[in-house]
Amino acid sequence: MKVFNSTQFYNYSWDYVSAANWCKYPNELSTHVVGVDVLRREFDPNKGTLTTERLITCKQPIPRWLMFLVGGQDKSYVREVSVIDRNQRTLTMRSCNLTMCKLLRVYETVVYRPDPVSPVTRTRFDQVAEITAFASLRQLCDKLEDWSVERFGQNARKGKLGFDSVLKNLEEQWHGLADKTQTLLDEVNEKTNDVMSGVNEKTGDLAKIFGYRN
Amino acid sequence: MGNLMSTSFAPECTDLKQKYDACFNYWYTEKFLKGKSVYNECEDLWADYKECIDIHLQKQGIKPMLDEARKEAPFENGGIPVDKSNEK
Repeated sequence: MKVFNSTQFYNYSWDYVSAANWCKYPNELSTHVVGVDVLRREFDPNKGTLTTERLITCKQPIPRWLMFLVGGQDKSYVREVSVIDRNQRTLTMRSCNLTMCKLLRVYETVVYRPDPVSPVTRTRFDQVAEITAFASLRQLCDKLEDWSVERFGQNARKGKLGFDSVLKNLEEQWHGLADKTQTLLDEVNEKTNDVMSGVNEKTGDLAKIFGYRN
Repeated sequence: MGNLMSTSFAPECTDLKQKYDACFNYWYTEKFLKGKSVYNECEDLWADYKECIDIHLQKQGIKPMLDEARKEAPFENGGIPVDKSNEK
C-alpha cells in the first residue's frame, strides 16, 4: 500500500467552501467527471450532521492499451460518503473506486475544516489517499494472455472470412483466366502448326535442290 | 453558485436530479448551515429522482458493485471501512 498526503488552503470561508463542494462538478479541469448522483442523504438535526452517499461517474481514465483489464468498459465509478458536521464545521468525504477494485483500490479521505489561524476567511483541506494494488504480476500476465488469445481468435476468424471473400472473387477471374489461357494455347498451337508446315515445305524444297531426298 | 449543474450517470434522470439539486443547494446554504432547519427538505424531489436512478443502477449493472462497497464501508458508519473501524 502507498499513501498520498496533501494539505491545501482555500481563501474562502468554510461555509462557502462546503456549499461549493456540492457544485464542484462540472468544472473546466475535471472533465473526466461525467456524472454526480446523490444515492442517499440523511440529516440528523440533533447532532447537526448531514450524511450523503454519492456516485461519481468518470470517463475511463486508464490508457487505451490497458482497456482489456476492465473488459472495454468506458466508464468508471466511485462511491463517496460525506459527513458534514455543522457544529464542528467539518466536511469529511470518504471515497473508493467501484470499478477495477479487484486490481487496484484507491481509498481517499478528504477533510475540509476552518483554518485554525484564520477560521473565518480560510479553509484547510487535508487529503489522504491509500492506494493498494491487489493484482500480482502473474494475474496481470494471465489477464493479458487471455485477452491476447481472445483477440487473436477474433482476428483469426476475421482473417478466414476475409480470405474467403478474396478467394471467392478471384475464383471467377481465375476461371476466366484459365479459359483465356486455353484459347491462347490453342492459338499458339495453330500458329506453330502453320509455321511447321511452312518449314516442312521449305525444307522439302531445299532437300530437292541439294538432292538429299531420295 | 455556478450556473452549470452536474448531470446524472443516467441522462434520463438528469432533469429530476437538477430539480432536486437546486432545492438542496438552497436548503443547505439558507437552512442547514444557519442551523434553521429541523428536517431534510427537498425529500419529495429526491424520492422522484431516486426512483429514476434506482432503475438505471440496476440496468447498467452498477448495483452489485455498490452493494459490495456498502457492506465494506457502510453509510451508517460515515463511509469508514468496517475493517478499519475494528482496528480502532
